[in-house]
Amino acid sequence: MLRPLLHFFLIGGLLFGAKAIYARNRAEGPEIEVRVAADASEAEVDNAVREAILLNEARRYRWDRTDPVVYTHLVRNMRFIEPDSPDDDPTLFQRAVEMNMQAHDPIVRARLLYRAGAALEFVPEDRMPGREELEEHRRAHGDRFEREGRLRFQHVFLSRSKRGESLLSDAREMRQRLSELGDAAPTGLGDPLPGLRSEQFATPSELKDEYGLELAKIVEEAILGAWRGPATSVYGLHFIKVIDVDPPYVPALDVIAAEVRADRLREIRKELREERMAALRQAYRVQIERSP
Amino acid sequence: MARTFLGALTVLTVSLSAIGCGNDDRASIPVDEFGRCADFEPLRQVYWGDTHIHTNLSFDANMQGTRTSPEDAYDFARGEAISLQPYNEDGTPTRMAQIDRPLDFAMLSDHAEFLGTLKVCLDPTSASYDTPQCESYRASLEFNADPGAAEGVFITVNVLLSLPPQETRYPALCGPGDAACLEAGLDVWAGVVDAAQSAYDRSDRCQFTTLAGYEWSAGPGSANLHRNIMFKNENVTAVPYNYFDEPYVEGLWDRLREECIDADTGCEVLTIPHNSNLSEGRYFENEMANGDVFTAEYVEARNQMEPIIEIYQHKGASECLPRPGSATADELCGFEIIPFSNLAWTNLERITPPDPKGFLRVAYGEGMKHEASLGTNPFQYGISAATDTHVSASGFVSEDDFKGHGGAGQPNRFLPPPQGFPDIEYLSPGGLTAVWAEENARDAIFSAIRRKETFGTSGPRILVRMFGGWDYPEDLCSAEDLAAQGYEGGVPMGGTLGPQPGPTSPVFVVSAKQDAAGAPLQRIQIVKGWLDGDDYQVKVYNVAGDKNNGATVNLRTCDTQGADSADLCAVWQDPSFDSTQRAYYYARVLENPTCRWTTLQCSQADYNCNEWDFEACKALKMNQESSYTCDCCDPAIGLRPDICDGVSCDDPGALPEIEERCCHQVEPAIQERAWTSPIWYQPPR
Repeated sequence: MLRPLLHFFLIGGLLFGAKAIYARNRAEGPEIEVRVAADASEAEVDNAVREAILLNEARRYRWDRTDPVVYTHLVRNMRFIEPDSPDDDPTLFQRAVEMNMQAHDPIVRARLLYRAGAALEFVPEDRMPGREELEEHRRAHGDRFEREGRLRFQHVFLSRSKRGESLLSDAREMRQRLSELGDAAPTGLGDPLPGLRSEQFATPSELKDEYGLELAKIVEEAILGAWRGPATSVYGLHFIKVIDVDPPYVPALDVIAAEVRADRLREIRKELREERMAALRQAYRVQIERSP
Repeated sequence: MARTFLGALTVLTVSLSAIGCGNDDRASIPVDEFGRCADFEPLRQVYWGDTHIHTNLSFDANMQGTRTSPEDAYDFARGEAISLQPYNEDGTPTRMAQIDRPLDFAMLSDHAEFLGTLKVCLDPTSASYDTPQCESYRASLEFNADPGAAEGVFITVNVLLSLPPQETRYPALCGPGDAACLEAGLDVWAGVVDAAQSAYDRSDRCQFTTLAGYEWSAGPGSANLHRNIMFKNENVTAVPYNYFDEPYVEGLWDRLREECIDADTGCEVLTIPHNSNLSEGRYFENEMANGDVFTAEYVEARNQMEPIIEIYQHKGASECLPRPGSATADELCGFEIIPFSNLAWTNLERITPPDPKGFLRVAYGEGMKHEASLGTNPFQYGISAATDTHVSASGFVSEDDFKGHGGAGQPNRFLPPPQGFPDIEYLSPGGLTAVWAEENARDAIFSAIRRKETFGTSGPRILVRMFGGWDYPEDLCSAEDLAAQGYEGGVPMGGTLGPQPGPTSPVFVVSAKQDAAGAPLQRIQIVKGWLDGDDYQVKVYNVAGDKNNGATVNLRTCDTQGADSADLCAVWQDPSFDSTQRAYYYARVLENPTCRWTTLQCSQADYNCNEWDFEACKALKMNQESSYTCDCCDPAIGLRPDICDGVSCDDPGALPEIEERCCHQVEPAIQERAWTSPIWYQPPR
């Protein structure tokens, strides 16, 4: 518990607080200049502005001076430049800062953007979703949690390996027998195949994986009560009678609470990122410089 | 719609046979609070899964550039695409992967040893963040890190897992009492369990089942003694016990028993051994932690905790070792044998002969000997197979899209993306575990594994069913109710046949069908092992299909031709049964030959062996680079008869280096396969 709070206050809280400070007095918001290519698209400009703001925030909180990754990296750079230097690490780091190395180094830049991005996404306790919010989320985004429709069907199979050349004529005969069956179950008809049941409950995609597209299509058409086929698979020929359709549905929250919570948290992080970024963008005064 | 209870009403319709004792608990699969799955089937159906998956939480995956998380691994298993290393500087991936068919179940098995350590090293607020070890680790992750230095850090971390048990310890950065890493590890483990909870489909559609787990990664002297720990549900031990916490497997089992099985918290757990091929022959040695030989108590514990074993994965097969003149080998034991004896030699690609004692078929014989003297067989393993992916690609077993292992083997974290093979030639895409269960839910899947009604495949979804009994009819293969008769008259795969009730030999029925997206079947074999006094023998029977069916594969184009058996079935009676001898029987189902992944990639690549320069390729490899010309023209790939024909491998070390490569060839064409859990026969005591 302590660590998340600490994390929030040290990182997320600072960035989030920027919104309030700047909102109170826009005039106090920082002013930055962002250089982009003359032909930069709107999206490229937006991205450049976003990064510039985040980097500026990271620097405002002195992460470019205090972050251990930045520190280690700059010291390593300095040792590369001055391999014989007798100075200790803090001195080398100070000299790197004086050279403004942190402003231009790509690793430092990536690290600061990473930390700022993580801070933007931090979820405080009061934004953790409760049951009501989860239920609302489940209802609003049913498509994300929907279970594929299933069909119950009867299945008669004729094996290619067992019947060989008589497969097609056997299939004609079987079609005739099935058409005369009425509502009776096809007990004892056809050949066995491991995993095959005379009555099954499956989704079209499961059937596609197991028997191929042709069989799945017949089932997906969901024509109730009529024997369809033969459909071809690598195993032989199949006849299908769909007897029940269980449509797609969204399970109750009790059943999928963990799944909904994970999905909602992903969304909250995105919302927070956008909210906080928008607040920062509003607070900043940005000059765009297009250079050839 | 809640899960239905209809299935529960029908589950009692098939009674258990008094003849077999196959741990058959079809009448007792618990119903959880969400009820039954809509497609509950008392006679069981097959579900496909992967029980060995690493994500960015594993130190080795993480250091090899894997960025995908447990959530990504579950997404992948359900059919979504994920990104693969190497990544560009801006974080965009250069490769993607997507499974062709979703899995039914999955268990993540991230290495438990450094779960907390990685977190500590990546958390700027942790006290250990600034330690030199953490700095080295983070430096090795940098985009422009030196590959050689990064590999050095990788090896340094790995060494901690190779220390002898009495010297194991957390890294120094974990601080006094290892508290920093232990505490951080608890958070990560809680996250792993949460991710499994979130991805588990508890609706009545039961589309995807997750099981929480981790890997205990003991590797003394680099001998692989790893176990995957599988929990049945969200009730888990608070600590994911690792090699540093419990350096002996007995200690691990004790912890799991005390804090899970006996804790009355609803916790259930089992452990799955793997990669016995890389154990220097130590996986099945007759020795406990204190150096004494097995006791009855130990043997019982092992039998209870470890129902199944992983027979195949990225790092090779552990079924049997091809050895001329061996009583336990057969002509098909050469499948995906990697020429290394332990983990370190695999990482360093140093050819070392594997120890035959590390292979399952030898263990089965040893196990029967222990049973004869101690009353329980410690190695009465059922069969599973898995990937051991270190790039979160759960169940990604496709031979024609192998992207590499991502842990040991060739690192792919640095740009440019692989220009030749994505991994060392001896690794392969791994396999899948199939379970026969009533429904796709945790209780049913876990119970199937516990009773060993499982089989493993080398990747394709070859479906196989096997029963053993005493009086199955000869025409059982034609019966619509094969499964009902199978259960009623005997035991399924993984079960045990008790003493012979009459004068007949046991009868086995094996029914198999090919993967609809794979190659046709060539044959079904039954592998029988038995104990004649102290003499252990093995015989392989071809019971369906035909070895000489004429099916062929063109190694240049990988086109296949020939016979086409989509399904095979046989009822087979042991012709040389002796009711006084312990025995086991497992089925091996073989596909027609197809190209191995290396051959497939070469068939699609642009390469020219006239331009091949062995020394130049070696130099390139030292720099962690390659090309298809280097890879495909290497004699070890099996496509160079111009170099290898006529090479005698009696003494490979005496050959020129190029010719020596001929003696450590992969099979350019393979026969993908399924292995069932054995059915065991126990004579009267």
